[in-house]
Amino acid sequence: MSRQLLVPLLDQVRFKREQLKDRLPTLPGTPLLFLSPFFLLFGVFLAIPVFYTFYLSFFTFQGVSTEALFAIDVGAYQIMIPEMANLQYVGLDNYRRLLTDSVFYQSLLNTAIIFVVQVPLMVALALGLALVLNAAYTRYKGIFRSLLLLPVSANTVAYSAVFIVIAAEGGLADIALGAIGIPPIDWISDGFWARNLVAFMSVWRWTGYNMIIILAGLQTISPSLYEAAEIGGATKIQKFRHITLPQLKPIMLFVFVTTTIGVFKKFAEPMIVISSGGPLNETRTIVYYIWQVAFQNLELGYGSALTVALVAIIMTLSLIQFKVS
Amino acid sequence: MHEKLEKEALWQFGGYGFLVAVTMVMMFPIYWLVVASTLPQSAIFAGGAGELPRLIPGRNFLANAEALAARPEVDFYRSMLNSLVIAVVYTGLALLFCSMGGFALAKYEFKYKRALFMGILGTLLLPTNLLVIPLFLLVSNMGLSNSYWAVILPWAAYPLGIFFMKQAMQSIPDSLLEAARMDGASEFQLYYRVVLPSMKSSLAALAVILFLFQWNLFLWPLVVLREGKYTIPVAISKIMSNDMIAYDQLMVASAMAIVPMFVVFILLQRHFVNGILGGAVKE
Amino acid sequence: MTAITLDGLTKSYDATDMDDIPDNEIVAVEDVDLEIEDGEFLVFVGPSGCGKSTTLRCIAGLEDATGGEIRFGETVVNDLRPRDRDVAMVFQNYALYPHMTVRKNISFGLRLSSALTTPEIDSRVTDVAEMMGIEDLLSKTPDELSGGQQQRVALGRSIVREPGIFLMDEPLSNLDAKLRAEMRTEIQELQNDLGVTTVYVTHDQTEAMAMGDRIAVLNDGLLQQVAPPEEIYRRPANEFVAGFIGSPSINFFDVSVDGQTLTAPSGFSYELEDHSVEDDTVRLGIRPEDLTIEEGGDDMTVTVVEKMGNENFIYGTVGDVEVVARTPVTVRPEPDQRVGISFAESAMYLFESETGAAIKTKTDEIEPQAAQF
Repeated sequence: MSRQLLVPLLDQVRFKREQLKDRLPTLPGTPLLFLSPFFLLFGVFLAIPVFYTFYLSFFTFQGVSTEALFAIDVGAYQIMIPEMANLQYVGLDNYRRLLTDSVFYQSLLNTAIIFVVQVPLMVALALGLALVLNAAYTRYKGIFRSLLLLPVSANTVAYSAVFIVIAAEGGLADIALGAIGIPPIDWISDGFWARNLVAFMSVWRWTGYNMIIILAGLQTISPSLYEAAEIGGATKIQKFRHITLPQLKPIMLFVFVTTTIGVFKKFAEPMIVISSGGPLNETRTIVYYIWQVAFQNLELGYGSALTVALVAIIMTLSLIQFKVS
Repeated sequence: MHEKLEKEALWQFGGYGFLVAVTMVMMFPIYWLVVASTLPQSAIFAGGAGELPRLIPGRNFLANAEALAARPEVDFYRSMLNSLVIAVVYTGLALLFCSMGGFALAKYEFKYKRALFMGILGTLLLPTNLLVIPLFLLVSNMGLSNSYWAVILPWAAYPLGIFFMKQAMQSIPDSLLEAARMDGASEFQLYYRVVLPSMKSSLAALAVILFLFQWNLFLWPLVVLREGKYTIPVAISKIMSNDMIAYDQLMVASAMAIVPMFVVFILLQRHFVNGILGGAVKE
Repeated sequence: MTAITLDGLTKSYDATDMDDIPDNEIVAVEDVDLEIEDGEFLVFVGPSGCGKSTTLRCIAGLEDATGGEIRFGETVVNDLRPRDRDVAMVFQNYALYPHMTVRKNISFGLRLSSALTTPEIDSRVTDVAEMMGIEDLLSKTPDELSGGQQQRVALGRSIVREPGIFLMDEPLSNLDAKLRAEMRTEIQELQNDLGVTTVYVTHDQTEAMAMGDRIAVLNDGLLQQVAPPEEIYRRPANEFVAGFIGSPSINFFDVSVDGQTLTAPSGFSYELEDHSVEDDTVRLGIRPEDLTIEEGGDDMTVTVVEKMGNENFIYGTVGDVEVVARTPVTVRPEPDQRVGISFAESAMYLFESETGAAIKTKTDEIEPQAAQF
């Protein structure tokens, strides 16, 4: 009944709207109108910061004012950001400092070691899982896929906390290892193991994600290729080496490039390990170092120079990966 | 022939074994998280000789949750609300902007289109974490710091999002838009009465990606938000930064950050998979 | 119910604005003059890229004409938006809104650009659905419909607006052959009943011949000829029209004319009764059905014989020219057999070899009993 009454009213609204539309001029710039909200934000919050980082990397802060613009308190660290103080142009000084900064090299090395542990393990697992899930004999594929993909939705900090609890002294990891006769490992405060812990966390989180991508790649390989190989008498392993791997190349490239970027921007996991007593020097990743420099030591200029350097490194690595393949 | 069958059975056995083993190992931390959130601190770790951490749920969930609420330095439940509001508003805005922009890039011809698109592609490789320094200065100068907007706006122009929408919308036949024009639709009506409703599954895919991105954002909220506005990751990091970590409370907080998302994620997973594949396979 | 006038219609694309096209300017339609009468069914036909769709889209208002005038009745519509032109269009892929039910698909245009109330719209939609025989489908979505049903919905969507002009862009080419023939007559009946001026685009010359009151043949953006189907067939304006219309296609020979003697390089010659042909080389056209195959001759080597049941198509070569003849079923030479060919002068087409313009077209009379029908 109420809907019956509403109809004439809605019709009137519709007529008014269409009359209004008739009076509006047709805009030649419609696409630009559609694009403007995105590009306004894109310009302000992405394009300007990109250039601003580059600009800041040639300056240092001068005369920090006493008035706090902003302060945060994370554990042992007291962080206070002062009001924008005068910037002083220092030319390439920040970059010169970077070249001789042992902490920078150490954090790059840490990042690289995490990469070396994480990537082969993760890619091997993801590829193996994808192959099994792609096989004709496998049942309940949907369930396995869902379960394996779940970790990607886990909140980064929260799942890091879970791993800390499992890896802590007296935690489940030690007990599980003890059961097969391995003595307890000091996962968190030993530099070597803390790095591996960060890598394992990432393997847990990203294996399913990469598995899905590889699985999609496997499904694009034409079955006729395998049939041809079978007629030629190829074994499973030969088929994998001579058909699957070459056909997967573009997908694997995508996996490697995105993983590289992911490892280089790793922040939450090392931060959590460090704040629960991990060794700073061995666990600090490059982004963590940039955060320290910029927001603990308040050297925004130097932090920017580090950022520029890191972007350059990531771009170079991505390009090399594209070239190699 | 017999030998071949045996070999095949071996492969299958190995494959299944591998699949099940990895899945169990992957699922274990989640199971353990749920269990740990119901245990008192003493049962989370091994106690004296021979005493193992408990592997079955206990009854301390509510007690842990209350203790979490009573923490003086961080209001965890407030942070859940913050995270939810921020992620929802962010997802809505970013969807709107990315779909409008993607529509323009996919279905109109105009000057400098290619240049604009290249600009977007160029930032795809850029880790967003790295823009924190200039963004912080920018946001502070705009007077936005310590507000929801400080976390929402900077990433609302999500380059992958507009790229994804452009790719998806290219599949809309031009004639569909022309039919609507003939029917008398204005360009904007075209967008919200024809394009958006026919892009539902792509929008859902992007929504899941955007929501997860914002929900997991850590470094930026850590830098720009203060107590009261904390999001979940920041609040958890605060709980962990105490000298004496209350692990039982930490586990409740982590469970609340992770498990509800799992439920939502399982429901929307199909869209998420379409989303990431839209980015990967079409390259 | 509107007459359409195209006056020097030109559409060119300025490609400097666009990224994808290398050239600076591409002319899609050039200087087309055409009057389409009120209530007429006019078919644009031509090979792909000939500008037929572009012309239609200019009439629809989906493309802006870059030159010339488009008038509906007395009104110049060049600057009107599609919605203000009182036209409806049917698209090749039907362009049904995938997320709307059939009812909403049909009513969408009325809701956006008419002053009808909701009950009025509802009753109109119901009427049209009955007319098209789709009243059972109203609550379905397009993906639940077959191709033919989608086609009916698309037609219904354009009829419901009661427009002054129907525009149809290859509406049948996505249907299978049987359905296509069925819909062809259905569209014709519909157009007859409604009497709405209709402009129809197709690349299929059979469809054009079957449906059009008049046919406009386009090639390379230029209007070649506008005439009723029979005239197009019998008196093509030029070689292109002759070659495009008719299936199998007309046979062409380069021949030289010397006074009364017409000689083909492959060897056969023909004595003309008509003395007016002066060019020394011309193109000779003979329709397949006008070629007579004679056993024992030595003009043509048979390559393939296609037995269609009611007639045979005989393919062969005359010199290096490929030739096809359409013969009664009783004529069935073997492949590789040499046969003679002959034809009547009245069935002959002659075209200038430079410009392609017609010099002579069919002059034979249509048999009288056909006219008595």
